[in-house]
Amino acid sequence: MYNLEMINTIKNYPDWVKEYRKEKLKNFNEASIPSWKRINIGEITLPEYRDYYKSFIKPTKKQEGVYIEETIKGLNDFNNFNKLNNLNNLNKYLSVEESYGVSDKFVAFGEALFNSGFLIKIDRKTKAEEIIKMKYTLDEANPLVIDHNIIVGEEDSEVTVVIDYSSDDGGNSQVFHNGITKVFAKDGAKINIIKIQRLNNKAINLDSNITFIGRDAQVNWVLIDIGGEINVVNYISNLEGVESQSNLKSIYLGDGESKQDLSYTMNHKGMRSLSKIEARGALKDNAKKVFRGNLDFKKGSRRSKGDEAEYVLLLDKNVRSHSIPVLFSHEDDVEGNHAASAGQIDANQLFYLMSRGLKEKEAKKLIVEASFSHILDDIPDLELREVVDAEIHRRLVYV
Amino acid sequence: MEKKKTYVEDIDRGIYDVKNEVRYSYKSEKGLTAKIVEEISKTKNEPQWMTDFRLKSLEIYNKKPIPTWGADLSELDIENIVTYIKPDTEMKHSWEDVPEDIKKTFDLLGIPQAERASLAGVGAQYDSEVVYHNMREDLAKQGVIYTDMETAIKDYEEIVKDYFMKLVPPNDHKFAALHGAVWSGGSFVYVPEGVNVDIPLQSYFRLNAPGAGQFEHTLIIVEKGANLHFIEGCSAPKHSVINLHAGCVELFVKEDARLRYSTIENWSRNMYNLNTKRAVVDRNGIIEWVSGSFGSRVSMLYPMSILRGEGAKSEFTGITFASKGQYLDTGTKVVHAAPYTTSSVNSKSISKGGGHAFYRGLLRVAPNAHNCKSTVSCESLMLDNESRSDTLPIIELNNDNIDIGHEAKIGRISDEAIFYLMSRGISEEEAKAMIVRGFVEPISKELPLEYAVEMNNLIKLELEGAIG
Repeated sequence: MYNLEMINTIKNYPDWVKEYRKEKLKNFNEASIPSWKRINIGEITLPEYRDYYKSFIKPTKKQEGVYIEETIKGLNDFNNFNKLNNLNNLNKYLSVEESYGVSDKFVAFGEALFNSGFLIKIDRKTKAEEIIKMKYTLDEANPLVIDHNIIVGEEDSEVTVVIDYSSDDGGNSQVFHNGITKVFAKDGAKINIIKIQRLNNKAINLDSNITFIGRDAQVNWVLIDIGGEINVVNYISNLEGVESQSNLKSIYLGDGESKQDLSYTMNHKGMRSLSKIEARGALKDNAKKVFRGNLDFKKGSRRSKGDEAEYVLLLDKNVRSHSIPVLFSHEDDVEGNHAASAGQIDANQLFYLMSRGLKEKEAKKLIVEASFSHILDDIPDLELREVVDAEIHRRLVYV
Repeated sequence: MEKKKTYVEDIDRGIYDVKNEVRYSYKSEKGLTAKIVEEISKTKNEPQWMTDFRLKSLEIYNKKPIPTWGADLSELDIENIVTYIKPDTEMKHSWEDVPEDIKKTFDLLGIPQAERASLAGVGAQYDSEVVYHNMREDLAKQGVIYTDMETAIKDYEEIVKDYFMKLVPPNDHKFAALHGAVWSGGSFVYVPEGVNVDIPLQSYFRLNAPGAGQFEHTLIIVEKGANLHFIEGCSAPKHSVINLHAGCVELFVKEDARLRYSTIENWSRNMYNLNTKRAVVDRNGIIEWVSGSFGSRVSMLYPMSILRGEGAKSEFTGITFASKGQYLDTGTKVVHAAPYTTSSVNSKSISKGGGHAFYRGLLRVAPNAHNCKSTVSCESLMLDNESRSDTLPIIELNNDNIDIGHEAKIGRISDEAIFYLMSRGISEEEAKAMIVRGFVEPISKELPLEYAVEMNNLIKLELEGAIG
């Protein structure tokens, strides 16, 4: 059982934050743990509460109109933070009304007990010059990250954020990540988020995300999920404004005994909104995954267009690959497409590469990387791109 | 600017809405009790095992919850649905002997003409009982059995006992259990090894009494190397009370056999159509489903193919047309349970006037079923923005050596296509009509004989509204 006294920083909070956490903790206690029966996770053992002590925001040059702060510090010194950052209504971003995320239980868990996370706010007509980088490293001393992240892009602003979750201790410790990220793109804003999850083989990764996109605004996601034993992620994009846009590109790699439940939803509400989901995956060993892609054209989303596609390479006999690509439509003047394909690596391709002297694993690796490469190219940080390449290589060839 | 919308009239169902006075020799009480089930069994003079089977099914029925994942079934009150109505006539082999009003109805529906024209045999069911059954003589000589289920239980008890509700057991779901308890009528077809039935057999089901349920059971066994085309048609006149259709179709396709099962359902708009259809296919056998869903208020219909023999194959071609007040939840399920099996699904749906078309599909590949191939394609056309169209396919792959492709589209008639046709001198209405006809063409060409004509008529009626 959890209580708020476990959180060391709790005493410094203003009362409304304490109340907020208390209420969320109540929600958490009341909700039941989901079983995600399609991938048969069973009951997740909840971790012991720990504070997260490491710093995770990579320093950037100060820029007018670009505010970055740890969520905990921002809340501790709330009034001052508000004044500094022109964020006079932070509380409205802390909870959203609609239900979202991997499950009510784990969203409440994150909201009640967050031990890290960041607030980013970009002022009107401001373009963040530098890429903002977050790096959470989990290890034996810091095995728990519960991050509560809020990104607010005011009208016509632009920002790119890279979030990297890794475990750097040779993969021996039981680490747990439960994250919440809320993104608010006001009219004309453009927000790019690159999220990389390369935790160790014992890790549990639960990640809930919700996005609100205004008129002419866009939110683009690049999601790389290549680690973790249990990986459950959920992304909901609300395309609310006229001509709002969202692109989501995802790479997943399942190996060993890993189980993944990946859910991506595009809710088209505004006229002429545009969305695209592209997921590319590879599964080996005994990996299990379920892909859920939802395109929902709500009333009023006339002339909107949504595409979703999933391509998965099945590398071993014992893999389990489930896909549920859903289209809902309340409007006639929309265009929704989905495509899914699944299969083995083409034998001719493999033969060709092996006839050039490559070992089978190397050849397979090349083909998987070729399928992934155009998404990996969207990682804006070269160093990180190399790290991800190396990790994919390692998992495909050596493990 | 408000765009001009095509207005498509509702189908004038014409002859389908002809009601007859309800005359019956036996009618069960409303609702469902063990006593009623026993009485149905007794009236039918059934063997004890069937009576026991019915009672066991009733027990399961009472325990199972009403499914909530699909259509809203809260208005369906089984207490008020008369489960068994026996029309006031014995089964006839000569059309002339069938009572005048029933004959007239089937005449209007084109049943005997169809027989004269091109069908190998015809069965017709009115309310719960089969009233007419006939088959070409040469087929009977080759050992083909085509009769109603009641006769089959008496004359071919051993065969029926081996197959009856083995594929759709009563504990499958609540309405399968209900069917097991109160089933009545339906067809039994047995095609012996190597026999090629070159012209289709046909059954027609009609529900005339208000507030009644139709629970026909169709059991078809196509032995090794045999070949059959079976056609099923359904309709009911419109009454103001809710009717229920919870039929069950079990198809056994043996080695190297081939079965084509075609259906056009045109139930009236007060019908809850909760039908269960399933086929199991052995080595190198082929099942082909052709399915058109036009009528009913609520449909939940997912014909399922279980490919259990190596090299077995299934093809599903379906069209659903959901109009005002209709919720049609249709689709198909395919289970690849053996290696080298192949399947293809081609589904089209149209929704208009606030109708809701929902495609729900399942494709499952078992761990041992390597070298499978499957393609699934779903297309939905919405004719106005009051309507709804949803697609929910589930794909479960449990081994790596497979080749799966899936695609789905939702949309309206594109302005470019209309503009193109209009620039060629075709009026806007006609252009739209042409596009809708083109949309359904791949399905209508799969339909047999007079059913293709029937469907073409239904669609033409819809489109005439559009052309005005």
